[in-house]
Amino acid sequence: MAEQERRQRIIDEVTAASWVTDGMTIAVGAPPPMALLRQLIRRGIKELTVIDSGLSLDLLIAAGCVRKVITYYAGGGFGVPVVPSFRRAAERGEIEVWECEEGILTAGLQAAAQLLPFLPWRGGVGTSLPEVNPDLKLFSDPIRGETLLAVPAIKPDIALLHAATADAYGNVQHYGGPGWLDLFLYRAADRTIVQVERVVANEDIRRDPWATTIAGADAIVRAPYGAHPFSSRGFYVQDTAHLREYLDAATAAVQSGHTEQLTHYLNYYCREPVTHGDYLERIGVKRLLTLYEY
Amino acid sequence: MAHDYSVQELMAVVLARDLSDGEVLRVGVAMPVVEAAVRLAHLMHGPNMELIFFGVRMNVAHLHTVPLPAFAWDRRVVRWAESYSDTGHRFDRLKDWHNHVFFVGGVQVDPYGNTNLIGVGPEYRRLHFRGPGSVGTATLSTHVGRYYIVLNSHSRRIFVERCDYISAYGWGTGGADARRRLGLPGGGPRYCLTPLGVLDFAEESKRMRLHSLHPGVSREEVQAHTGFQLVMPEQIPTTVPPTVEELHVLRTRVDPQGVLRR
Repeated sequence: MAEQERRQRIIDEVTAASWVTDGMTIAVGAPPPMALLRQLIRRGIKELTVIDSGLSLDLLIAAGCVRKVITYYAGGGFGVPVVPSFRRAAERGEIEVWECEEGILTAGLQAAAQLLPFLPWRGGVGTSLPEVNPDLKLFSDPIRGETLLAVPAIKPDIALLHAATADAYGNVQHYGGPGWLDLFLYRAADRTIVQVERVVANEDIRRDPWATTIAGADAIVRAPYGAHPFSSRGFYVQDTAHLREYLDAATAAVQSGHTEQLTHYLNYYCREPVTHGDYLERIGVKRLLTLYEY
Repeated sequence: MAHDYSVQELMAVVLARDLSDGEVLRVGVAMPVVEAAVRLAHLMHGPNMELIFFGVRMNVAHLHTVPLPAFAWDRRVVRWAESYSDTGHRFDRLKDWHNHVFFVGGVQVDPYGNTNLIGVGPEYRRLHFRGPGSVGTATLSTHVGRYYIVLNSHSRRIFVERCDYISAYGWGTGGADARRRLGLPGGGPRYCLTPLGVLDFAEESKRMRLHSLHPGVSREEVQAHTGFQLVMPEQIPTTVPPTVEELHVLRTRVDPQGVLRR
């Protein structure tokens, strides 16, 4: 007899991470789905092409997961103009940088979403971007003869996102809106895994279907506090002290070659915890309870 | 006039004066002078300004103090938003952008206001200094009605004859029609603000020109810290210091924690 039940899409973070294999292109939403990213580090995934920015990108590079970076911004806050592991790896040529910019990136993702080879974009005309990234091609548009940039389709194999809630069927709702690239990443990617603060009943989704931001995530991972140490709107603020701990460790490794602190960070928080629950135990309930919004 | 103020406070006041009511001010990351300036303008003379901090659009002229920090994306800040533009439309409805104002930094700036956030070094794959990246500056600088280059320091390392890389196009290789020739609809950079003075761009050549000197700074000092020849008018006014009222509003309602005095 054929299966009559609607397929549920909930998987755990360990299974979700096994979808990602060496050499894939992954896209990381905002806030970064840290429970999933830590699992990638734990698994020792290598040679990834990563669409990401800021400190989560830096962590993946520090952990040795990354071969190529598609990014528009690698600042990290905390008065750090450029995140340390990215900076050194780029300066040494250890990672390849696909130089782009916010508007250019969204054009490329939109092209992938619409199965187009490219989309035109004006921002970047006159700049060095098409020189340092030869995939961006200046062309004369056939309608008005203007010089524009052809941005090739940027197609992630898997988008990894974090959101507030989802039901078992992949209907995702954000509190306070999705991260700014999230929907571009979802529309462009082959598959999308969304980790959520809470899995809710299908009835809860249907109570307000207009609030559904992603209508067809391929998998849902239950990950309360899953964006930690970053913030999750409606749930908790960023753990500044923890981010500082990572940044200090990564900076020490880059500037003075003292890698002990960074190795400890990666082992203690990313490689040793088998599950997200193990990670949260290491952070501790008391610490998590200090991260309230008001 | 006030006498006791920091140079960052001076820069914020100068920038605030140049912003007009009704404009849409788009502020990026890590620019405390700009964050303070748009708030100050909003409170002093801009009740119809719209402040956009990374997609969070707000009008908070009715508040006694203007909320800080701008760059927490949690609800402490988003609660002031009237809309959150980042559900896929950060770069849409560009026809309105002639009324939008933007602010860029740079690790290098050249005589025609082209700026570089990509990095420094002759070989792109082995940069001496890998910069933070272009953020949204290539697109925003292309389309906004005008933008400001705002720098925390003024040195020959930053002001160079030629940027190693250009991430935001200013006036290219010069000429008032440089942007029009490329089909860039925005109005380009208006001022470059530094701790030493205010620079603008000569009308015809669009080469950088000394516009005003901050109190106590000489034209020779500015030129000595600039890696290319500035256009030097005969008369260069002194930057008008903050008024007592401007400084009072800045310190009590915008920057009570004294970020600009550190």
